[in-house]
Amino acid sequence: MRWATAKRLLFLAVLVAVTLAAMRFTIPERTGRISLELKFRDVLAPVQTGLTWLGRQGSYLVSLPVSMVGAAARSQALEQEVERLESEKIQFNEYLLENQRLTALLDYKQVMINNYNFQIASVIGRDPGNWFGTLTLNRGSSEGVMENMAVLTPDGLVGRVITVSSSASEVLLITDPRSGVGSLIQDNRTTGIVEGVAGSAGIARMIHIPNNALVETGQAVVTSGQGSIFPKGIPVGIINNIQNEPSGLFLSADIIPYANLNKLEEVLIVTYVQPVAETPRVGG
Amino acid sequence: MPFPVYLLLLGAILILQTTVLENFAIAGIKPDLVMLVVVLNGFLLGAKEGAFLGFAGGIIEDLFSGSYIGLNALSKMVAGYLAGAAGERLYRENIPVAAAVAFIASLAGLTVNYLLLLYLDIFISPLYAFYRIAIPGAAYTAMLAPFVFWRIFRYIQFRGREL
Repeated sequence: MRWATAKRLLFLAVLVAVTLAAMRFTIPERTGRISLELKFRDVLAPVQTGLTWLGRQGSYLVSLPVSMVGAAARSQALEQEVERLESEKIQFNEYLLENQRLTALLDYKQVMINNYNFQIASVIGRDPGNWFGTLTLNRGSSEGVMENMAVLTPDGLVGRVITVSSSASEVLLITDPRSGVGSLIQDNRTTGIVEGVAGSAGIARMIHIPNNALVETGQAVVTSGQGSIFPKGIPVGIINNIQNEPSGLFLSADIIPYANLNKLEEVLIVTYVQPVAETPRVGG
Repeated sequence: MPFPVYLLLLGAILILQTTVLENFAIAGIKPDLVMLVVVLNGFLLGAKEGAFLGFAGGIIEDLFSGSYIGLNALSKMVAGYLAGAAGERLYRENIPVAAAVAFIASLAGLTVNYLLLLYLDIFISPLYAFYRIAIPGAAYTAMLAPFVFWRIFRYIQFRGREL
């Protein structure tokens, strides 16, 4: 082997070894985040906010030509419809108000209002790759956001806060392979752990379900409250596909999250949980 | 492409990747623009340059996300190297060839990415990893190659690099 080739190979080996070591050294759970990176995120947050808005407008513009196909033909019919709809609008407003009142009466909504304090946050960024599922929110420690606070939408659980800077925070989605949520099947109270499958696939999986449990497709899965990060009773998703785990002792099931994690725009950060008997404090 | 310009371009691409591109995700999968720039530059400039640009682009992406520093650097280095090696053997001035190389090199890079995730104790089912992420991600990335290939090609020609 020529000396030049050997030198090149040695350089490559050293580079790969150093990079592999750096990768291990910068696992977020082990080392926390670099302060420089947190400062960088604060600086970047307003830029990301603007670009996210631009992206949504761009998406609308791109889909506009598709929606315009046949628009001229539809236009006349729609104009005739407008008058009729105007008169119905008042009636529908009544239905809307009634619907809002009924929604407020739902048990879950009531529990949410009575027991939790929320901070509303906008999604301003996402993980650049497809492997992980993380979001950047426009709320940080200056608004009282802390690590391990649960993040949700009215539809269901989104994830938890993993890092916080003064004006932004990062959320680990329940579909991220690093995520684990203590959960139970609502119908039969069977417990298991909902873990992420892959960040962008939008699927999670409930594992360690005892194989004698009565598990069926379509059953609702909610947080169990065990593990102290997620408050009890938050909807996680519905069971979609049930399989045997390789050990034969347990079942696992694909979970389709209630919250549409690929289309999130605003989320709620649970900043405080009322200390009642069965609902533990966030991050405790 | 001068290295500082390349770094600035990657910075701008990364901001787009985390914001605007989310709206163009199909079934949750978005294209990897950094990978695309690395692979096409590597394809046109050669294996050594491809590996270097891939490593540099990946490191910037890793620093941007602030964790697992080196994860994208190594995977994009492999992708850039393979694209460069292919470029040295194939006819370069052809978009289908460039798109096919972009697909294969991206897929190879994502495979390295997957192996490194295993090294980091992050387990993703191989079925999901390849059929839901790696293959669709590489295909989506390669589909964008025709839109940027000539721009990079002409820029490199303009800069007077030998092809």
